[in-house]
Amino acid sequence: MAKSDDGIHILQGLLVFGNVIIGACGIALTAECIYFVSNPHGLSPLLEASENNDISAAAWIGIFVGFALFALSILGIIGVIKCSRTLLMVYIILMLITFAFEMASCIMAATQRDFLTPNLFLKQMLERYQKSDNDKLTEQITQTWDNLMLQKNCCGVHGPSDWQDYTSAFRVTHSDADFPWPRNCCVMSAQGTPANIDGCKLGVPGYYNSNGCYDAISGSVNSYAWGVAWFGFAILCWTFCVLLGTMFYWSRIEY
Amino acid sequence: LGTHAMLPLLLLLLATAHGLVQIDYTPALASSELGGLVTTSTFTLKQPRCIFREHETAIIWLVVAIPEAVSSFNNSVEPGTPERAFQEFPNSTSAYMTLNTTFLNYPCPESTGDITVLRVGSETNCIKDEMRPTCNGPLPSPGPYRVKFLAFEGSEPVAETNWSEDITLGTAQSPSSISATGSGHSAGMITLTTILSILFAILLAALLAMLIFWSSDACGSSGTFSKSESVSVRRYNTHHVYDQPAARL
Repeated sequence: MAKSDDGIHILQGLLVFGNVIIGACGIALTAECIYFVSNPHGLSPLLEASENNDISAAAWIGIFVGFALFALSILGIIGVIKCSRTLLMVYIILMLITFAFEMASCIMAATQRDFLTPNLFLKQMLERYQKSDNDKLTEQITQTWDNLMLQKNCCGVHGPSDWQDYTSAFRVTHSDADFPWPRNCCVMSAQGTPANIDGCKLGVPGYYNSNGCYDAISGSVNSYAWGVAWFGFAILCWTFCVLLGTMFYWSRIEY
Repeated sequence: LGTHAMLPLLLLLLATAHGLVQIDYTPALASSELGGLVTTSTFTLKQPRCIFREHETAIIWLVVAIPEAVSSFNNSVEPGTPERAFQEFPNSTSAYMTLNTTFLNYPCPESTGDITVLRVGSETNCIKDEMRPTCNGPLPSPGPYRVKFLAFEGSEPVAETNWSEDITLGTAQSPSSISATGSGHSAGMITLTTILSILFAILLAALLAMLIFWSSDACGSSGTFSKSESVSVRRYNTHHVYDQPAARL
């Protein structure tokens, strides 16, 4: 009996440890998803307008899954220590449901990341930047692009040539001769006005931003998607091991 | 510099009847470093620096024409007339003249620090203004166009450069031609989905196995973790045994 006693205690210890880790990861997942939902890089309007805002939905699911994992890990610890079959059965069933939700969240985030190609942002920018309809989302998109071009010193998605290669809502209200590209593509002085308007219109290197904004956008979106999808995946792998251990432990408890 | 001095003399002999000096200079687009060298309605030329030094008092005009008008171009038509008005181009007239200046603005020598260019099409406030026939307005179509410089003294043309090559402007496509559909799924997403599906399937199978074991009670008592005390069964000698001798009587 001494040998199997040791076996019990080792397994119990491992399961408690596993559940502690799950609880901590649950809190971390909730915190991370709240961070993403709070729009730290200011790109939410672009994602919202892409008509398929599953990355945001994945983050929201992540918040609730995180809480659930934390609560269930406490339940699991209590069930393991008390050797209670009913508690552990409830724990296993609820954990499986949470597993399914988190799996959906990870897959959604990963799939949506593939959907956000440069052409998607290009089309959105050309069709909605500075469009003169009274749509709130259009205003947000315009503001997002203005801030992006100012802060990241970039222009367009691939470069200023985007504004020359395609007609756009911007082109309808701003003539090509005066605005080959938006003013925010110009290098700005300390006062917030273009350093040299003629240099900017001519495209003189040093007076306008000649690189595209896609790198800046994809960096932020990648960190968003990786944070939700791959961190969730890591948590699920660990949860898988703990659940298998718990099932084995449960089947060995006698009534 | 030798040929530069020779050719005007040679052409002067040939062109003395017209009194028009042919300068061997071909207008060209400015440096390709400029991002806005050619847009959908403007283009940028190199300035004709030091070219018109023989005609310091003349007014130098830029002529913009469609290529078909080059062979029949009449140098004597004065700028500012309806035949050379920007507003009539290209519907009623095949060429217009603009960007008039004197040699003072195209001095020798060329200062290599500054950007010396001529932007054709930069004036947007006089596009429809018939009072300004020499407007440097944006070009209405992608072209192509050919340009040259023509110097006037009074109402007489005195010098001209060669015609440039064809200059074609950019055309803009509609954004609806951009295909924004995704390029398929990345390897990462497929890996993630596959692994998670397998894990979930294993968990469900383990749950099923667990439930079957529990309901069929097949798992023996070896190695179980029980918390209850062991129950011992004792045999009792009942009073029936002592009654039996009485039945044999």
